[in-house]
Amino acid sequence: MTADLTVLTVFAEQTNVNGDAENALVLTARARWAGFSAQRVDWRLGDPVPKGRPDVVVVGSATDPVLPALLDALRPAATTLRRWRDAGTRILAIGTGWELLGQTIHLDGQTLEGLALLPGRAVAGSGRVTDDLVVDSPFGRLVGFENHLRDVVLPAGSVPLGRVVYGRGNGSDDRAEGLVDDTVIATHLHGPVLAKNPALADDLLSQVLGAGYTARTAPAELVDETARAARSVIATRLGLSATDVA
Amino acid sequence: MAFAPAILIGRLVRVAARLRKRGGGSAVPGLVVNRLAPRFLSATLAGFPQGLVIVSGSSGKSTTTKMLVAVLEAHGLRVFTNPSTANISQGLTSALLERVDLRGRILADIAVLEMDEGHGALIAPQLAPRVVVLTNVMTDQIDRFHDSEKVAGMLGTIASRATGSLVINADDAMLLELAAHRAPGTVIAPYGVSQGVLAANPRGLGYAQTAATRLAQRDGTVVTEVDGRSARLSIAGGEHPITLPARGTHYAVDAAAALAGARAVLGADFDAERATTSISAVAPVFGRGEIVTVRDQQVEFVLVQNPASYQLNVDSLEKGLDQLFFAMGSDVRDPSYFWPVDSSSLGRVAVVSGSKADELALQLRYRGVEVGAVDHDLAHAIDTFLALPAPRTGIKTVIFTADSMRRTRAHLGLV
Repeated sequence: MTADLTVLTVFAEQTNVNGDAENALVLTARARWAGFSAQRVDWRLGDPVPKGRPDVVVVGSATDPVLPALLDALRPAATTLRRWRDAGTRILAIGTGWELLGQTIHLDGQTLEGLALLPGRAVAGSGRVTDDLVVDSPFGRLVGFENHLRDVVLPAGSVPLGRVVYGRGNGSDDRAEGLVDDTVIATHLHGPVLAKNPALADDLLSQVLGAGYTARTAPAELVDETARAARSVIATRLGLSATDVA
Repeated sequence: MAFAPAILIGRLVRVAARLRKRGGGSAVPGLVVNRLAPRFLSATLAGFPQGLVIVSGSSGKSTTTKMLVAVLEAHGLRVFTNPSTANISQGLTSALLERVDLRGRILADIAVLEMDEGHGALIAPQLAPRVVVLTNVMTDQIDRFHDSEKVAGMLGTIASRATGSLVINADDAMLLELAAHRAPGTVIAPYGVSQGVLAANPRGLGYAQTAATRLAQRDGTVVTEVDGRSARLSIAGGEHPITLPARGTHYAVDAAAALAGARAVLGADFDAERATTSISAVAPVFGRGEIVTVRDQQVEFVLVQNPASYQLNVDSLEKGLDQLFFAMGSDVRDPSYFWPVDSSSLGRVAVVSGSKADELALQLRYRGVEVGAVDHDLAHAIDTFLALPAPRTGIKTVIFTADSMRRTRAHLGLV
């Protein structure tokens, strides 16, 4: 791949119902604003996995009825995805996209095997949650929206993305939300999570592009000011502060 | 006379509601009557000599209903219909209360009702519609419906009640699937677009799943050509030109749905010439491409209902418009699902407003659209926009979601 940044979206025709795949747009736009070349590659359902290791893979949420078909389509590429991750590719996995790459999924009374690329078992929760989700994390207070049926159980020792301030998150007693490690950000914050919370995007881009990456560009400052206002409106509606007080 | 007390009480409530708030309170009488007399709605809807027609689907309901009513009236039928703002059960009951006599009867030959998918599925089991017209299944209101499969399920519940014909969009794979499981004896009346029309819309027509093949002209009502506000339709093998209420292939599809529905209702009495002439005379529904004179200037109003209609409407706008207003309100619980829409062709939006203004501005800016001002106060924002100089290209255009549409109409005194 010739660009400084290559972002691969996986089956966006099914995993973009909440706009999750558009995080690729956020990453490529921010990289270009900082002077880097960037491209988005779409891996379409039915096609072989694209050649060349991407810098970031985005797997968004699909609706439950299509999950078995997506698992079948992903399975032959499991080795490739694992090799990419081990070679430094970052993965952003959102909602049922995380469940697909995780260990198991409880679906319609059955337990399906995930790709086991990421930790996390998606288990029956206490009913669908569809609401705002606010999380305090090392990247500051993250604000977004969650819409999921299942909870996620993390293996002991996993590091969540943050702690739930408002919402359900992973559904665990310790109010954990998401998962983060050197290679992965997994979360229930769906849709344009990187646009609304640019600190996450910038952390990812700095890791891929190195010290040459900067968010101090005029276009990035304009969208980040807009994002700050958007987070503030949501937090205020929920009676919260828009910034992490800790 | 069983419903007379409930009807009287409902009317009193209506008078009281209107005294309290002029033009308001339209759902409250329905709410009261539905509580006092739960069978009023189904009993009244069963009382039309030529039966009941239900129009439902993710989008295009209002325009299709309006067109179908126009065609049936042109054929001499007296039609009872509901305003598009009253498509949920209490609104339907309120609309019936407006016209019903104390015996629970309405002086009309047939009822043609637009129904919200969710509410329609809830009340459908009490109804026996002669004809059900389904427009499409789109990814819509995810926080309420979760996924398009659920929407298809609700439409399936409504469709299963059809006693005569099920009128379906043959380009929508989920509706085709649903038609395959219809009640025995129900006749399928399909409509759709030609391969050429589909090819002219490279992003598709917004359906959650588009069918692999197109409907043959001999098998139904087919849109064969769309050019701006002009379209051609093939009806029973004959070609007919029509004029659409506004630009866009989706309005031609609405016309095909209405014509197929009218054929199902009228049978041998259907006159294609009369039908297409009456459809061509239909004015746009407010917010569906309607042009209104406001404060001495022409303004076009465009309603965005879901990602598909957002994309279709953006794509059908005249190119190079330089005075655009865009408001997204509280009806959009979470704007995330609008992010896949490529709004870049808007170029510049002068004023962004509504309670979701910042999230909308964020999407627009990432799509490379310049945003002039973000103003949360919708009334103030509209005033600012209308005070801007006349555009260089076209006319001022207001794009909004349902909640912002209602507030804008109220602010501008548009009824």
